[in-house]
Amino acid sequence: MPRERYQDALETLRSDVLEMGEQVDTQLETALEGLSNGAESPAQSVIEGDAAINERYLALETDCVDLFALQQPVAGDLRFVTASFKIITDLERIGDLAVNLARYARTRDRSLDPDVAIDTIGEEARSLLARSLTAYGDEDAAACRRIAADDDGIDALCQRASESVTRDLIERRVEDDPWAVERLLDDVSSVLLTIRDLERAADHAVNIAARTLYMVDGDPELIY
Amino acid sequence: MSETTPTTKTDRPAKTDQSTEADQPTEADQPANEPDVTTAADATNGDGATHTTAGETDEQVREEWREYDFEGMAKFAVEDLDVHYGDDHALQGVSIEIPENSVTALIGPSGCGKSTFLRSLNRMNDRIKSARVDGSVRIDGQEIYQDGVNLVELRKRVGMVFQSPNPFPKSIRENIAYGPEKHGDIETGPLARLLGRSDAAARDRLVEECLRDAALWEEVNDRLDDNALGLSGGQQQRLCIARCLSVDPEVILMDEPASALDPIATAKIEDLIEQLSEEYTVVIVTHNMQQAARISDQTAVFLTGGELVEYGDTDQVFEDPHSERVEDYITGKFG
Repeated sequence: MPRERYQDALETLRSDVLEMGEQVDTQLETALEGLSNGAESPAQSVIEGDAAINERYLALETDCVDLFALQQPVAGDLRFVTASFKIITDLERIGDLAVNLARYARTRDRSLDPDVAIDTIGEEARSLLARSLTAYGDEDAAACRRIAADDDGIDALCQRASESVTRDLIERRVEDDPWAVERLLDDVSSVLLTIRDLERAADHAVNIAARTLYMVDGDPELIY
Repeated sequence: MSETTPTTKTDRPAKTDQSTEADQPTEADQPANEPDVTTAADATNGDGATHTTAGETDEQVREEWREYDFEGMAKFAVEDLDVHYGDDHALQGVSIEIPENSVTALIGPSGCGKSTFLRSLNRMNDRIKSARVDGSVRIDGQEIYQDGVNLVELRKRVGMVFQSPNPFPKSIRENIAYGPEKHGDIETGPLARLLGRSDAAARDRLVEECLRDAALWEEVNDRLDDNALGLSGGQQQRLCIARCLSVDPEVILMDEPASALDPIATAKIEDLIEQLSEEYTVVIVTHNMQQAARISDQTAVFLTGGELVEYGDTDQVFEDPHSERVEDYITGKFG
């Protein structure tokens, strides 16, 4: 095939994006582990590991810019590089969200847990991320549409969890101690933000599927 | 890049964040230089399936890939155009409408018939003895392939700029004035002067106007009587465009007009093409894919065997072509 160096660069980009995806998934998994068992070391590992994700993101961004500038991709190649360029941004943001989750893990008050297990939402979000990366690697348009549809399930779980926390807060008797109130508000806020960030991680996974669908079929349906 | 901390920064909602000489005879009259055309028979196997030159794809062209809806009027309406060079079938049943006041790019590999198609639009193929043209080409509804068509008048309406700048070995002024004088639009000769009807002033106005339109006036206005061959390649090409404009054409056909030019001269020609398309219909053959993408409103892709495979808005063709073979060609995977 002609333009071998170019074809190699495209393939390298694909495998590098998938590798970055695995790296981000590991961060998310570790953050969830921290949330689950309250241990300090997973949280610390996620916070320290974010620099590597950011570095990888910048390196891949440079690779995409180089491909645009030096190879001027068109048609399917253009959609592939454009999609990859956007997907690495989503991955980097999931990395940031994993850091947030690790921070919440450090101060998590289990008594405020909603009736929907945070672990369950986290695993659902991770599953969506894994599926969207597989769809990207396999160029699977049908999988992208299924991922977008399945996001509604996570949204519903998150809404139920948030409502549960709020309801619990309303029903709770609070000690007549300003510091206790302050602490409770911080804890509630932290649980609600945990739920929100997991929902956002899932949304970024859906973005990856949306960009992948555009990459495969030229169909921007899910991007909007 | 910053981490999203809940108290200082709110994450955006994720969903919203979302050819060369090879395909054109250099000396049109000489059969020895006929286009290197792959025949239709080469490109089509027994069951009618079409292959690339490398044979790695197998697809049938669909009519909708060539259907292009555009606003405004069509300058050219071409129907079932076939061109043969002797036994070679250079163009196969091409039907296409070209919108006026726009830039249409014709792209495709060497020998795909794009230059043949371009030359069909002002009957330049008539100059190739072995060429046989069948089908219909209408400009503003008038058939150009019929008896009684005045070819000089046709080529005045449909001008042409070639790959290599080819100014006359005359002064810059004479290069521009030559056409209008030949057509009798202006008279400046000794007889006209003797009879007191010399249009020298009109000629100078025309020379200035054409050179300005071709973005050359500022560079040459102090040396209009110098020989045009002393200009740089890019200037010579713009002079040829100015010369083409001097006879007041409606259409400008360009066959690789910038392939012999450096990037700066190329950029000037590309800017010029864009400006010209406001008043003229421009049809350009180019092997430079990025050039086609940059300057054209619509792109027609010809592939092996003289077949028009895809025609549509340039952004659609370059971002999401329908044909797999077109995709392979424009991404460089072809053959």
